[in-house]
Amino acid sequence: MIRVVGLTKVFGSGDAAVEALRGVTLDIPEGDFVAIMGPSGSGKSTFLSILGCLERPTTGEYYLNDRDVNSMEDDELADLRNRRLGFVFQSYNLLPRHDVLRNVEIPLVYGGAPRGERRERAEMLLNQVGLGHRLTHKPAELSGGEQQRVAIARSLANDPLVILADEPTGNLDTKASKEIMGIFQKMHKENRTIVLVTHEPYIAAYAKRVLYFRDGEIVREEANDELR
Amino acid sequence: MNFADLAQIVWENLRAHRMRAVLTTIGIAIGIAGVIAVVAVGQGGQAVIISEIEKMGSSRYFEVGPDYMKGETADSNTFSLQDPVLIKELSPAVEKMAPLTLGPMVDIRLPHSQQKSMMASLYGTTPDIIDAMNLTIEKGRFLSNSDVTAHARVVVIDAGLAEDLFPKDDPLGKKVFVQDTPLTVIGVLEKAPSSMMDTFNVRSVYTPITFAQEMLNTRVISTLCGVAVSDDAISQAISDSVKILEKRHASTSKHYVGNSLEEQLDMVGNVTSVLTTIIGAVAGIALLVGGVGVMNIMLVAVSERTREIGLLKALGARRRDIMQQFLGEAIALCLLGGLIGMIFGIGGAFVIALAANWPPLISIWTVLVAMGFSVVIGVFFGLYPASRAASLSPAEALRHL
Repeated sequence: MIRVVGLTKVFGSGDAAVEALRGVTLDIPEGDFVAIMGPSGSGKSTFLSILGCLERPTTGEYYLNDRDVNSMEDDELADLRNRRLGFVFQSYNLLPRHDVLRNVEIPLVYGGAPRGERRERAEMLLNQVGLGHRLTHKPAELSGGEQQRVAIARSLANDPLVILADEPTGNLDTKASKEIMGIFQKMHKENRTIVLVTHEPYIAAYAKRVLYFRDGEIVREEANDELR
Repeated sequence: MNFADLAQIVWENLRAHRMRAVLTTIGIAIGIAGVIAVVAVGQGGQAVIISEIEKMGSSRYFEVGPDYMKGETADSNTFSLQDPVLIKELSPAVEKMAPLTLGPMVDIRLPHSQQKSMMASLYGTTPDIIDAMNLTIEKGRFLSNSDVTAHARVVVIDAGLAEDLFPKDDPLGKKVFVQDTPLTVIGVLEKAPSSMMDTFNVRSVYTPITFAQEMLNTRVISTLCGVAVSDDAISQAISDSVKILEKRHASTSKHYVGNSLEEQLDMVGNVTSVLTTIIGAVAGIALLVGGVGVMNIMLVAVSERTREIGLLKALGARRRDIMQQFLGEAIALCLLGGLIGMIFGIGGAFVIALAANWPPLISIWTVLVAMGFSVVIGVFFGLYPASRAASLSPAEALRHL
């Protein structure tokens, strides 16, 4: 489903150039649950941004469902982000002025879904993450865990192939983190493909396999035989 | 994204940034209100000046005289009493023509009166002057041709003089002393509707030119006042008159020059349009200042919202969607500001016009130009930074603080 070959990413140029990725090659089959670990600056977030089409690699190849992502126009990438990819951020990135329902509706608006359908779908997703009773609250009125659940519901809006999560529990306490990971686990059981960046070994333990990044390269891979 | 969704997003964004929206709107409104009000007041003033001048005579009025501008003056050989009669006969472009012998400051008093005498301008002339100067008789009659032939000792006085001399009585048939010569009042002119002459309190009396020349002991005619058959015939009338005069007075070294009210109006029009341009420039600066305000607010708005743009792109917004959003916001603010500015500008123009007692002239062009300018500013400065932010990759925009 996802196949990357020799991905590199260089920020800046000349003497100030920083190599964030130095040739990453990886296959992620459908239904996989991959955790990425590694110290700060090891390139794991950059890698996730590239997988999420939030930025383009400097060199290398990226195929999503056998389609060459690097050759796509900006509008095609926007469409890909809208329909095929769901992104979950460490800091939730909800729009503070909108209520919870509207936040989940945003990707559906850009996807062109009709008004009624959009509302129904957003409500359904929020019910799934256990926030059916909070539809008209503003993000600031919710706890961190609840906000992240809204963000997950938003990432699922257009029923994407892949969920990309950048330290989704980084701002949460252990209890909220476990609730969030419960949702990821459920999504994995529904055969959704998940790539998740984390610092915490106990979070990485939810994944089917764990990749270790160091200095822009994958240095080690471990399989979790026993799924929790 | 359809229109309803776009409108909803624009509305939500404007509400979310109420303060900014209000400030932008005020900036645009002030600029537009300033331009509209200032130009309307300027054009109203211009119209007032022009109508004042038009009150001074028929629009077909013209006069022929020596070249006063070059220092020439009329002497007793410059014009003869027969000139206007002949010119009227010979030129098909001239409808009326009256000679004018002026007594600039004559004194006027009632017989046996202890009252101080009054000063007035004396016009020695013929009946045609009534059309040239747009005079209207209120009581009695104006001078007749037989008065002129008979050197009749009669006088027509203006409404102001009638009030001063005969506050209670009917002036008709009464005697007045003009330069110590007794004359009979045969007519009273209607009060001119508030003209500038009135404001300066200038009184005037009209007598037959033949008698005026006797009384003033002069044979000088200073000017011929004419009326052309139509507005288009004015220049023809002037050149005909000058040609005839030059032929009849070949011995004199004078140059005859014609002037029309039209030319004077043109001159006034030039002066006031310079004024309007200056005023318009001032208003334009107001608009520019408003525009710079809008620009600042928009620039700040976009750099603040770069992160948001990044997020929306991450969620699948295309560049086009982002641009439409910002364009929508800019247009909404400009239209709202424009509308408010229009209301205040037109209202202000009416208030000033009411206070100054002249008509508020609001031209649709001023309104359109002011609106167009503010929309262009709003759209350009709304779109340019948005376009910069939208061309960042979502990851870059999200890293923006």
